[in-house]
Amino acid sequence: MRHDSAAIVLMLLSIGCMHETKPQTQPTPVAAAPETSTTPQGSKAAPATQGKSPASTSEAKAEPAKATPPAKAQPEPAPLAKTQAQPAPPAKAPAQPAPPAKAKAQPAPPAKSPPQATSPAKAPAQPTAPAKQPAAPSTLDLAALEARLKQTKAIGLMTKLSLKNKVDDLLDEFRQHHAGKPMPTVSELRRAYDLLMMKVLSLLQDKDQQLASDILSSRERIWGLLADPKKFADLQAE
Amino acid sequence: MITRSIALAQSLFVLACLVTPVAAQQDNETLKKDLTAVIALQGQPCGEVVSATVLKQNDYAATCKDGNKYRVYENEKGRVIVEKRQ
Repeated sequence: MRHDSAAIVLMLLSIGCMHETKPQTQPTPVAAAPETSTTPQGSKAAPATQGKSPASTSEAKAEPAKATPPAKAQPEPAPLAKTQAQPAPPAKAPAQPAPPAKAKAQPAPPAKSPPQATSPAKAPAQPTAPAKQPAAPSTLDLAALEARLKQTKAIGLMTKLSLKNKVDDLLDEFRQHHAGKPMPTVSELRRAYDLLMMKVLSLLQDKDQQLASDILSSRERIWGLLADPKKFADLQAE
Repeated sequence: MITRSIALAQSLFVLACLVTPVAAQQDNETLKKDLTAVIALQGQPCGEVVSATVLKQNDYAATCKDGNKYRVYENEKGRVIVEKRQ
């Protein structure tokens, strides 16, 4: 009898422990979420809320990629990003292409020139850069993006199916556009593309921040693939 | 020894009875969030799914916080359909 009661007490204790451990598994991602999410969101929010010039946004995005040199001058990267952003518009989209240039400007070598012109005033901005370094966003092509989205557990099955439908719809619109139909214009396609990206990002940003930041950094690259008729045709042929 | 093993078996049974509902509840919560996202993606008013019922595979009935009811299913073409119910 004593053994029985001891076993029951033991089991009750283990049940109690079990309930505690379950919540722990969920909180950890939540706790980790703010850290990484704040960095990407911060970089995004900063330009919008603080009303900084596009230059400041390019700095914020350029820093994470530069990774190696922690002490960099903010003014330097900005002009570089701008100069590279200018060539982008000719590709197609009007004002929005600027961000793509940023994403591609990140890996660019210019990163090393800024350190020479470092000014002490810029030092405070550096702490944010190291925080982003671990998350070093990698660029994705469509196939990789598709694979990552399939793998992620941040999105439920039905949501994934729904997203796939939307991606297919958008690809159809691109197909029509490249076929010469006037209906979906580039700006309409861009709007639809941005909206879809926002939906995807909003679904991922809390539970799979790494993928969210990768998508964010690949956003313009993917747009480039879709908007260019030649690249799009290659994509469809694959 | 026998009494010990019986006690252990009993407690394991109790444990299993307690664990299963917890897991089922978690699954249900995941499903609710999934359906909430799907309904929102389709631009339908909902807010949050408060109850979800599995009708069959990839076919669900969802009740939203705002009182709206939907049937969310995958049709034969592979498209996810959100159908308002009354």
